[in-house]
Amino acid sequence: MTDSKSLKWPIFTIIVITTALMLMIAIGFTVGILSEDPDGLERMVIDTMGEEWLENLPSVWRPILEWITNDYVAGSIGIILSVIIIMGVFYLITSLKKRRT
Amino acid sequence: MHIPDGLLSIPIIITLWIISILVIILGFLKMGKVFENEDSDKLIPYIGVLGAVIFAFQFVNFPVPGGSSGHLVGGTVVGVILGPWASVILILMVLIVQSLFGDGGIFSLGANTFNMGVIGGVLGFYIVKIFVMILNKTKIGKELKVTLATAIGAYISIVLAAIIAGIEIGLSGTIPIEISVPIMTYWHLLIGIGEAVISALIILFIYKVKPSLISTETMLGVK
Repeated sequence: MTDSKSLKWPIFTIIVITTALMLMIAIGFTVGILSEDPDGLERMVIDTMGEEWLENLPSVWRPILEWITNDYVAGSIGIILSVIIIMGVFYLITSLKKRRT
Repeated sequence: MHIPDGLLSIPIIITLWIISILVIILGFLKMGKVFENEDSDKLIPYIGVLGAVIFAFQFVNFPVPGGSSGHLVGGTVVGVILGPWASVILILMVLIVQSLFGDGGIFSLGANTFNMGVIGGVLGFYIVKIFVMILNKTKIGKELKVTLATAIGAYISIVLAAIIAGIEIGLSGTIPIEISVPIMTYWHLLIGIGEAVISALIILFIYKVKPSLISTETMLGVK
């Protein structure tokens, strides 16, 4: 395992970039430079089948974080979750690959 | 580009899950030597940050003329940074987090991984490689070569991914294929411009601050 000194810069990078991304989302939604319009796929479905049809697509899966309606909060939680999950998975991958070699 | 649940038929969902799982297994076996090195642990926080960047850029939509919007898919840019096989795994992780918020379905995760990870990441990487080889014949600098090739690769791969998503929806019988493919292509010909610009800016930024993070220069054949 790497010593804590060598992790100083990576951890610093995580904090700086995560903060920058949260700011980007906050400023983007506040200033309005980001769009609330449907994306390409949603646009196609809405134009062909209607918005109501898209909203009522059958699914047995209820997204567990769907209750978070605030975009900034959802974005921030998503960023933190992404960092944790991806670091965990890639730590596992590198450990397994090292063990194989 | 995130396909929700209910839009694809069960045979298409199962087929794309199988393909994506096979590519992920192959990806694990073929992932670059960079993940086997003694100091590969140092890379992990940066990979986590890269995943967060892709999540954030997929989360926010930029406006597209005509009443639509687009967001970064990021498969190609991750492919250029980490290699094509690692990109599929990273994109899958980002898609899992997004599906928790209802952006893309959980059953259609296999299809979304195929479209954004396999087409965007793996195929996108090899498109970038072709353009790097073409640009090798010019005298432009290494950074610019990779940046330009990434922009072109990202553009082509997102349009291809959109065409394939259109075919998947068409074959599922939800929307006729003669409607889904042209409309998906049309919107993503516009959205792809944003994908190309953001991808190029990310590569250029990494070249300025930490060029060693781009681990695929040898694989890309950059001269």
